[in-house]
Amino acid sequence: MYWDLILWIIALVSNIALLAILLYQIICLSDLEADYMNPYDSSSKINSLVVPEFILQGVFCALFLVTGHRFMFLVTLPLLVYHARLFSRGAHLLDVTEIFRALSHEKKYRVIKLGVYLCFIFLVIVRCPADTVSILSIFSSEHGELDIRSPFLEF
Amino acid sequence: MATGNPGRPAASPFAAASPPAASPFVASAPVVTTPDGPSVRPPPVSGSTITTPFSSAGPMVGTSAPPPFRPGPPAGFVRPSTPAPPGPPPSQVPPASNQFQHFSTPQFSMPHQPPLSRPPPVGFPNMAQPPAQPIMGPPIQLPGVPGPSPPVTFRPPTQTPLAQMAPPPQPYAQGPPAQTPSYHALQPGYVQPPPHQGMTGMHAREHMQQPFSAPPTGSMQDLVEDFNSLSLGAVPGSMDNALDPKALPRPLEGDVEPKAFSEMYPLNCNPKYLRLTTSAIPNSQSLASRWHLPLGAVVCPLAEASKEEEVPIVNFGSAGIIRCRRCRTYVNPYVTFTDGGRKWRCNLCALLNEVSGDYFAQLDATGRRIDADQRPELNKGSVEFVAPTEYMVRPPMPPLYFFLIDVSVSAVRSGMLESTLTQPQMMVVSDVDDVFVPLPDDLLVNLSESRHVVESFLDSLPTMFHDTMNVESAFGPALKAAFMVMRQLGGKLLIFQNSLPSIGVGRLRLRGDDVRVYGTDKEHSLRVAEDPFYKQMAADFSKYQIGVNVYAFSDKYTDLASLGTLSKYTGGQVYFYPSFKSGVQQDKLRHELGRDLTRETAWEAVMRIRCGKGVRFSTYHGNFMLRSTDLLALPAVDCDKAFAMQLCLDETLLTSQTVYFQVALLYTASCGERRIRVHTAAAPVVSDLGEMYRQADTGALVSVLSRLAIEKTLSSKLDDTRTYLLKIIVKALKEYRNLHAVQHRLAGRMIYPESLKYLPLYVLALCKSTPLRGGFADVQLDERCAVGSILMTLPVKSLLKFLYPSLIRVDEFLLKASSLDLQDVEKSIPRLPLTSQSLDPRGLYIFDDGLRFVIWIGSMLPPEVARSLNVDYSSDLSQVNLCESGHEISRRLMGVLNNLRESNAAYYQLCHLVRQGEQPREGLYLLANLIDDQTGGTSGYADWIMQIHRQIPRVRRNQARLQFYALVDIASATHLVKNTGAKWLTGIARTLKASFG
Repeated sequence: MYWDLILWIIALVSNIALLAILLYQIICLSDLEADYMNPYDSSSKINSLVVPEFILQGVFCALFLVTGHRFMFLVTLPLLVYHARLFSRGAHLLDVTEIFRALSHEKKYRVIKLGVYLCFIFLVIVRCPADTVSILSIFSSEHGELDIRSPFLEF
Repeated sequence: MATGNPGRPAASPFAAASPPAASPFVASAPVVTTPDGPSVRPPPVSGSTITTPFSSAGPMVGTSAPPPFRPGPPAGFVRPSTPAPPGPPPSQVPPASNQFQHFSTPQFSMPHQPPLSRPPPVGFPNMAQPPAQPIMGPPIQLPGVPGPSPPVTFRPPTQTPLAQMAPPPQPYAQGPPAQTPSYHALQPGYVQPPPHQGMTGMHAREHMQQPFSAPPTGSMQDLVEDFNSLSLGAVPGSMDNALDPKALPRPLEGDVEPKAFSEMYPLNCNPKYLRLTTSAIPNSQSLASRWHLPLGAVVCPLAEASKEEEVPIVNFGSAGIIRCRRCRTYVNPYVTFTDGGRKWRCNLCALLNEVSGDYFAQLDATGRRIDADQRPELNKGSVEFVAPTEYMVRPPMPPLYFFLIDVSVSAVRSGMLESTLTQPQMMVVSDVDDVFVPLPDDLLVNLSESRHVVESFLDSLPTMFHDTMNVESAFGPALKAAFMVMRQLGGKLLIFQNSLPSIGVGRLRLRGDDVRVYGTDKEHSLRVAEDPFYKQMAADFSKYQIGVNVYAFSDKYTDLASLGTLSKYTGGQVYFYPSFKSGVQQDKLRHELGRDLTRETAWEAVMRIRCGKGVRFSTYHGNFMLRSTDLLALPAVDCDKAFAMQLCLDETLLTSQTVYFQVALLYTASCGERRIRVHTAAAPVVSDLGEMYRQADTGALVSVLSRLAIEKTLSSKLDDTRTYLLKIIVKALKEYRNLHAVQHRLAGRMIYPESLKYLPLYVLALCKSTPLRGGFADVQLDERCAVGSILMTLPVKSLLKFLYPSLIRVDEFLLKASSLDLQDVEKSIPRLPLTSQSLDPRGLYIFDDGLRFVIWIGSMLPPEVARSLNVDYSSDLSQVNLCESGHEISRRLMGVLNNLRESNAAYYQLCHLVRQGEQPREGLYLLANLIDDQTGGTSGYADWIMQIHRQIPRVRRNQARLQFYALVDIASATHLVKNTGAKWLTGIARTLKASFG
């Protein structure tokens, strides 16, 4: 019964990590645009994070599948498929030589993805507790007769 | 980078050895050979030997100094012992007899208006100002009254309220001759710069009048003088083939730089450095969007200058270079000094800067500095500043040339090694000195010190690999090794490649043989690098200031699309010698390699182009890598490289009268001095589309368009690219037609501006050029990529020559007894239209596209000429060697060829002899390049014009549309000045828009 809670925490953490990765990429691109960073650094920094981000997102999606949260799985699946397609075509990395030509597009793409991840985090916060209402209910005092606190804390 | 050379003195080692360009590096020899103690890096494994590791990729030969520039090989060219090699496989070329059918019915040879033969000037009706107009500065002209040129003085835009100090006296007393007086009447903004509101008001009124104020008389002639037209058939319905091909405009005098512009602003830099696609900058975004052609510039920062117009060098010494504090603009002739000479106003951003004590000079009565005549930076559009140490990331490096030579079996067989290595002894340097001490810095030797070692190595190289059977090429690893050796110093890497890289990292597969890919969405992938390794390497090379030139020799597929990527991002170029045979092409290789090594080269360069407020350069096209949004990194750049860029307007409405452009190239000269070359130009801002068309520059436009087209082929199909080009022209001409739509007589005519009369032809030529021509079978993929890459670098003049080559008839010239001196062949022999009708079977013709010559021998050429040229009709002409015999005619022909070569020295033009009726060589070399003709499924010139004309719809609602445009302009203008009364106008505009759909 705690698994749902653990899942919820893991989902939240990985989602926050995804957001952070994406924010960092956007900051790198903005720095490049404002000439605070050269294209070599910027692209190598971003490219080093692209595959971890894809993997993390895949894990995030798979997590819902294995725990049977179908709705969340279906919501996160399209992005996973999109990532897989990008990866298979080899188009997931930034091209340092043409980075300025692709700059506005890359930025837009990342801002949109940031929005998608924000939706995810919203869903994770709102939806998961709904699934795991019993878990939440353990904190309410009405169910005082269930002595759930000690095992929870022991865990 | 900078810290990688601790062993080097901080000051430039060349400072003492200073100027003489002859042999600047003798003094610097020790520096070059000194290994850098702490920064010694692990030996590149493959660099250690010539015999084993990358045996097939070839030994690396490096030199750390340029040759003391000795004069090249003796002027007389050594003739190749065998003639032209077989070119790419025959493509479908129709038999010559099919070619004329289109021209068979020229019914109508009519009102093609010859350029500049305009009727007496009269006011342009659209622009005629009603007498009541209050704001006009110049004497008011009655509408519709044809009079002498209005006594309007054309004042330079520098005399605006913005820049109140009078600029240096400029001879603008009368307008530029090339312009009609109507030009003045239509540019109220120039005549007297009114305040902003006044201007927009006038602007608005001017447009509003267009439909209503057509003067009662004389409007017809008025219009005719403003554009050219081609009559496309008098009888409606019989449009086809009613066009006289002879009447079509052809650029037979070559590239003509627009004169009006440089006369308007004599302080501008020479147009060979900077050319704008139109020298009239639109004042609003709506106007810019109606100019459907590219709006931009072509920059060739190091263009070759003749002796008398050399760029002056200015050394500010301790005072430092004078620049604007805010926008970093360099001081230039357009800055204005105020406050008794203590301050100067930047012409780009209008900031007032202090004048430092060292630079102070009094102003004279007109507000001009008294020393302006002595200071080149204040009276010349192009100057070079000597850059102090703040402009260096590290001390200037000695020029370094590194040779990477493919020694696989195909290279040996073709004789590439021999020819490469026996010729430029004066410049090639090898690593034999220390070949077993594979430390990066020891591999490089100073040329003057170890010349004999180098030469002996070069002599032994062919024998060393004489019996190699190795067919593999470890190009990728060799490239990496070269990178490791070079990254301390930067420099230039010359790659001689004869086979497809097949071993190790960066190996490529055979592709491009697949016909099925053509016409599909994957077609473009053949033209881009296959392996990301090449892009990554190119980026690394650019980062470490290494320029890459690729010399490709193979007759088989070498994937130049991938190899060319290396030079694309490092400011290099691709030389292509299809099926190289040392006997035939050694002259070409020798000349081009020699030029590559000896032409003035700028090392470690960065280029930036600044422009005034409200305007911004958005995209750049050429061979370079962008280091930030507007900084072009050019590890090595020279006089044969040009760059194109496109402009966009940041503000809805420009308030200034003039826009300034400043190109700054920071580089290390071959003598070891850090310099900044600055070119400044000014261009007027206009509110009238017609004026933009009038000031258009076909050469620059074609240059930008061709780069856009080549880039488009990298992401889409060839067909789409050609359609895209056609669309641009159609849109532009349609817009131009709308401008003059009040004309009823124009039915059945195509109208175009005088300045753009050659544009359709050049675009047709572009569509038929090697990189864009046909489909799979027409051109080999490698050749397509190589020529495409050459087009990306060519300066305007050479590009136009390449697109519309010259065809000249020389037999009469050769036979003429009076030995006309061969000083200026191009001027003395007229160019002919590129159609097979120009070819007379009794003649001898030279076809010259700047990259090669084709000599066409008519079937009825007088036998004495043929005999004196040693041309034997029975033999295969591709094996005939054209060499100078004792005969006078032969000597003269050689003189003509050499003269043509000298006029275009960037490439060596190899002669291909072609006899009339000799298929397929005739078709391949000449007939396919006769642009005016219809060949193999492509349209001829006349067809092309018809095609364009048909796509320009006969607009009936032009008047209404003009009204609409006028209103839109008013709306945008009024919106800007926050005039609340604009609401009703916007309302009307909206209704109109709705009613016109």
